[in-house]
Amino acid sequence: MNSIRKRLLVWLLGGLLLAVAAAAIGTYLRAREEANALFDYQLKEMAASLTGAPFTTMPGGLPGSDNGNGALVVQIWDRNGVQLYLSQPRRELPQYAQLGFTTVQTDEGAWRVFSTYAGSQVVQVAQPERARRELAASMALRTILPLLAILPVLGFLIWFIIARGLQPLARVAAAVTRRSPTLLEPVAEHGLPDEVQPLVHALNGLLERLGRALAAQRNFIADAAHQLRTPLTAVHLQAQLAERATTDEERHRALADLRGGLERATRLSEQLLTLAREEPGVAERTMLSVDLSALAREVIADLAPVAQAKAIDLGLNASPTARVHGDPEALRSLISNLVDNALRYTPSGGRVDVGIAPGGDGNGVTLTVSDTGRGIAPADRARVFDRFYRGQAAVGNRVAQGSGLGLAIVKSVAERHGAEIVLGDGLNGAGLGVSVRFPPVRD
Amino acid sequence: MRVLLAEDDPMIGASVRQGLSQDGFTVDWVEDGRAAELALANGVHDALLLDLGLPKRAGLEVLGAMRRRGDARPVLILTARDAVADRVAGLDAGADDYMVKPFELDELAARLRALLRRSSGRATPLLSHGEVELDPAAHEVRRNGDPVALSAREFALLEALLARPGAILSRVQLEEKLYGWTDSVESNAVEVHIHALRRKLGADFIRNVRGVGWMVARVTRT
Repeated sequence: MNSIRKRLLVWLLGGLLLAVAAAAIGTYLRAREEANALFDYQLKEMAASLTGAPFTTMPGGLPGSDNGNGALVVQIWDRNGVQLYLSQPRRELPQYAQLGFTTVQTDEGAWRVFSTYAGSQVVQVAQPERARRELAASMALRTILPLLAILPVLGFLIWFIIARGLQPLARVAAAVTRRSPTLLEPVAEHGLPDEVQPLVHALNGLLERLGRALAAQRNFIADAAHQLRTPLTAVHLQAQLAERATTDEERHRALADLRGGLERATRLSEQLLTLAREEPGVAERTMLSVDLSALAREVIADLAPVAQAKAIDLGLNASPTARVHGDPEALRSLISNLVDNALRYTPSGGRVDVGIAPGGDGNGVTLTVSDTGRGIAPADRARVFDRFYRGQAAVGNRVAQGSGLGLAIVKSVAERHGAEIVLGDGLNGAGLGVSVRFPPVRD
Repeated sequence: MRVLLAEDDPMIGASVRQGLSQDGFTVDWVEDGRAAELALANGVHDALLLDLGLPKRAGLEVLGAMRRRGDARPVLILTARDAVADRVAGLDAGADDYMVKPFELDELAARLRALLRRSSGRATPLLSHGEVELDPAAHEVRRNGDPVALSAREFALLEALLARPGAILSRVQLEEKLYGWTDSVESNAVEVHIHALRRKLGADFIRNVRGVGWMVARVTRT
């Protein structure tokens, strides 16, 4: 039973019934006490009234002839114990007299017996206790009957009041139902009961966070579409120039340009995919123990031809093994993007160093990539991690041609690994140095 | 015709410059908004091709400042922003035309010619002068209906003179029409080209005003 309304109704009515039952028992017990006192008094009076007159003169028998519950049995003995009178033959009643009140157990139940001397005779008056119980029970019943009668009315009232009390919940539910990914405005919080308000408040918080995440996603898609259009426009134009070419030499040059444009467009779409995969919650991949040094060696081997083509001295300064807890593919793209960035923005004849300092003594592994490029102005350093942001060094740098996503990918991967990124100066005070500090591996 | 191209993407800029050069335009290329404003201050360009997402100074700001200065030269916006609101904003800011990336080089050249034609107050796509007719789109010159073979520079020089009949253009002005910043100008190149044109079109077609420059006489219509 999962309805608050039904549960409240059952518990409230159940409680009420228990209370009524307790009241009935209480009333019954008190009524019986009172009935005892009353009937005892009656027995005594009866006995006293019999002492005044010789039993022989009693007209028409004694009072208390069997008139239902109040049945009285009278016995009279003389001094010698000879029974002189018996109003009704009752075998179960004692054939002797014990003076005062006694309670006698018989086959017919308990009897209340009163005996007293009346001159030379012993008068005994007896009455079944059943009479007293029945009187008490009827009194108790009279008390609780009206209560029982209003119970259905109470039930209906409770049902109705709870429904009214729960109305705000229905209103909130309707308001939430109207919300959609395009309409995430907060649910009105005023006029709500204190019990419902925390729920709605929490819900509004969730809606707000959801709205922000959706807006970020929409912006990203719009940005991505816009950013894809630029390399595609270039490819489009380059293809037109290739079509227009009249000599072999022109055509060769145009096709080489076209290839460059295609490579740029391909790279951008790959970077977008990498970034999409890093989105939290997209795919939870298993985290392994990864040797960062080995990964760095592989990345450097991949990018060595690029460095050689630009006459850049690319080197690794790493401890033999440096283990971190992480996703190997993501970590590879982190290192690859950092080194690629450094190579892009370092002029010919420059130098790019990749360093890996081992963890130990509670310190995590630190990866650094330093170059002799133009660096990033301190004012720009906070923004370079934004998607598609390109610093002043990147603007107008015809050779660099970055996608504007490299550092955004680095940031996503680092965040997922709990690593901290610090931007500093590069080699010999020039260029850029990026440090990524991974947390220590926990066993 | 000399046009200024303001485009921050190196690949697009290089391609547009190459394509328009093939169509007979002299193209100067700047990569940010501030450089575009400096180049516009020279006044040597006949039209501006403007990307909106320029670094340092946004395209719309460049355009707004240009129009506030009273600079009426034709402006064609080249942008990846294709929403109607963006187009309206661009045209309302004073642009004469709006092209969304990606675009065709042929269409760009045609629109540019149309803009230049309208800005010089002509309705017909042909520049004609006496028995000489110049078709900027087809890159053709006819004399009495017979085609005349001209080099690209000779063509550009003739186009500049025919665009403003009766106006005297100095050697510096003509050089500015013919050569972009990256071209090297030979010292007597203009004289050489004028000489060639006179040989092909008639000795008195282009008149020299000594010490001032060259002109084609305004034709008195009969």
